[in-house]
Amino acid sequence: MPTNLIPALDPAPLPGPPWLFQVLWVLTFFIHIVFVNTVLGGTLLAALAGLARGGRRETRTLFVEVNSWAISLAITFGIAPLLFIQVVLGRFFYTATILVAWAWLGMLVLLTVGYYLNYVAKFRLRAGEGVGALLVVEAGCFLAIAAIQVTVNLLHLQPGRWGAVADNVWAALADRTFAPRYLHFVLAAVAMAGALAAWVAVRRAGKGGDAAACRGMAQFGIRAALVATLLQLVDGFWLLLALPEEVLRSFMRGGAATMAPLGIGIMAGVLLLVVLAGISDPLAQPTRVRHVAELIVGAMIFMVVTRHQLRDFYLASSRAGENVTVAPQLGPLALFLAVFVVCVGLTIWVLVRAAKDRPAPGEGAA
Amino acid sequence: MDYPIWNLAMGGGVLIGIVAITHVIVSHFAVGGGFAIAVIETLAVRRRNPAWRALAKRGSLMLILVSTVFGAISGVGIWVTIGLVQPAATSALIHNYVWGWAAEWGFFILEVVTALLYYATWDKVRPRTHLVIIWLYFFAAYMSLVIIQGILSFMLTPGRWLETHSFWDGIFNPSYLPGIVLRTGICLFLAGAYLTLAALRERDRRARVPMVRLLAGFQVVGVLLAYGGYRWWEHVLPGSVQAIFTGATPLLPALASTRHLALWALAAYLLVALFAAAVPRLHLWPTAVVAMLAGFAFFGGYERLREGARKPFVIRDFMFSNGILVSQIPDFDSRGVLANAVWAARGSEASQVAKGRAVFRAECASCHTIDGYLSIRKLVAPVDPDMLSGILATMREEGNEYAKGTYTHRGHVATDKLDYPLMPPLVGTEAEQEALATYLLTLKPSHGAEATNAD
Repeated sequence: MPTNLIPALDPAPLPGPPWLFQVLWVLTFFIHIVFVNTVLGGTLLAALAGLARGGRRETRTLFVEVNSWAISLAITFGIAPLLFIQVVLGRFFYTATILVAWAWLGMLVLLTVGYYLNYVAKFRLRAGEGVGALLVVEAGCFLAIAAIQVTVNLLHLQPGRWGAVADNVWAALADRTFAPRYLHFVLAAVAMAGALAAWVAVRRAGKGGDAAACRGMAQFGIRAALVATLLQLVDGFWLLLALPEEVLRSFMRGGAATMAPLGIGIMAGVLLLVVLAGISDPLAQPTRVRHVAELIVGAMIFMVVTRHQLRDFYLASSRAGENVTVAPQLGPLALFLAVFVVCVGLTIWVLVRAAKDRPAPGEGAA
Repeated sequence: MDYPIWNLAMGGGVLIGIVAITHVIVSHFAVGGGFAIAVIETLAVRRRNPAWRALAKRGSLMLILVSTVFGAISGVGIWVTIGLVQPAATSALIHNYVWGWAAEWGFFILEVVTALLYYATWDKVRPRTHLVIIWLYFFAAYMSLVIIQGILSFMLTPGRWLETHSFWDGIFNPSYLPGIVLRTGICLFLAGAYLTLAALRERDRRARVPMVRLLAGFQVVGVLLAYGGYRWWEHVLPGSVQAIFTGATPLLPALASTRHLALWALAAYLLVALFAAAVPRLHLWPTAVVAMLAGFAFFGGYERLREGARKPFVIRDFMFSNGILVSQIPDFDSRGVLANAVWAARGSEASQVAKGRAVFRAECASCHTIDGYLSIRKLVAPVDPDMLSGILATMREEGNEYAKGTYTHRGHVATDKLDYPLMPPLVGTEAEQEALATYLLTLKPSHGAEATNAD
């Protein structure tokens, strides 16, 4: 009887070169994670806005309004990496999701509840009503989704754990990298959302917004980003040291290809900490606030690359001898690229047109 | 087949059906609603009619709450459920159509952004810009449908793809165009049905009547297109597929009943839509709700037909509903199914019963549960050991017929000629067949009593 639980490779050939799928996967995942961090971190900060000294309502309103489109975009941009992981690593991914099927399916329920709660919060805020409890439940939904994603991610990387999880589903959580990885995810989201709040507050103040409210929101955002980044540095090393020995060893032996993205990511984190610590009055230091946002996005780019490289090391032994055949579908690939360029072009064009188009005085609006 | 099996009492197929039907009802409204709202706002701008503008605005809130929120989540929900229930088939589809899906994703980006933008720019931009946004939305939404229809219809009528494995042959398969016509009709009538509910909130009767009449027009045209598309779709299906739910003695009477229900629902819908067009002032909540329910009944019925008519395949003539490929039958018959079903075979060394249970998990559990949906315990209850052996032997023999192409007709397996036309054949060695029989007999209610008496 077979003892290896990894399903056979799909007999159909890959419809494009593997490198292309990897590139598209990493690129689209990065865009997805920007929106995911905005939603997760934003909801957490909105729920915790009561701790701010000022601008509580503005902070809540900002994230609830942003979430009403950011959740849609997080889902939309999640579709592409979901496609590409299935092409490249389908047999690992499907197995991991089936092993925790109820949680994976439950993610949809949590997402639906979280999204509609956000709309309820949006309309209540517009009506001047309280939203504290709603935001706590919404944040709970998104935190649970993050935990499910981390669980599936760790499980698909480690076929050696599948048997134990099949016998006892709670074993899915028995991974020593789970806690640091989950924290890594949540803290990055909080840092990004904090930077976003500060950046928006600075812009609003520059356009004549309520100075006290803007200051409160900016300071709350910077403080959240500072605390999250400080904890992130500690957690990052915890995560690195918690990695399985062979994975860590392979990673360290990867030379510049692996060490450069990780090193730059860590340096961006340290630099971020320095810049954040130097901000005493965000409204008076708009350039520094902008640097915070830039450093966070920069760190995320390199960490996404590192995350992808780690996946290869995790799966190296399981995929050894994998004989992938490739039969590129050039016509359909060209169709995709053409559609993508046209649609992104039209999207940008219509956004710009809508932003610039304002009825003249006396002229009716739509 | 060589993936873990998710034991779901309601049956995986039922779960996929629930999620998929919910999603398509929403997503087709997202397409048709976009068109209807674009038409309504265009008329509002040309006629400077504030009531029509208000209707477009009300409709747009419904559009984003239903399509960008629920539609997006339920769309991902289909991915999640098919990956859990039919991973091998999902993998096969992904490997063939990833660029098609990726292109659809490109349109989806435009669709979601324009939907959100349309709602956010009421009272903020010039009417012309607002119209550009909604027409762009409709273009993107309809193009998504144009692409996804190729993949959906492929599963039932793969056509020349079976020989060429070409992306384009798979997309432009025999039921592609009929399905486009049918779904376009559905988009139109769903848009008419939903937006009528929004129009009925207009208190001014003089303003309401022309709205209801226009939306009734959408519904009449939609119903007629859907009917024509449906008939065309049925016409292009292979005879063995038609035999499942049409004719004097359909192979699956429940599916034939679904067909009758769906067509009668469409007929009823046409009557209500004509009534609304003729006397719009009398078309109020009760008839509007009846129209909507009739539309749901037709659409849900059609989707059930489309899914059910694939039996015993998940991709017609290529992959069975248990994930086994037609081309794998000879190999599995000689080496054994359990040699390839790593998850089903887990821990099956111990006994003949355990081995039989493993065969059940590998070949039957994708459709049958033990005590829930399509309960195997109920099915084996009236069967004696000899009869069971005979059934399994016949089913195994049918595997050879599939492999040899004994009943191939015009490039399709003529499943209606088989003794078990709706079931995948039993594949594997004779020993595995016997083990399965042993296991199934343990499920008979009498088995426990016999064991007790023997003690």
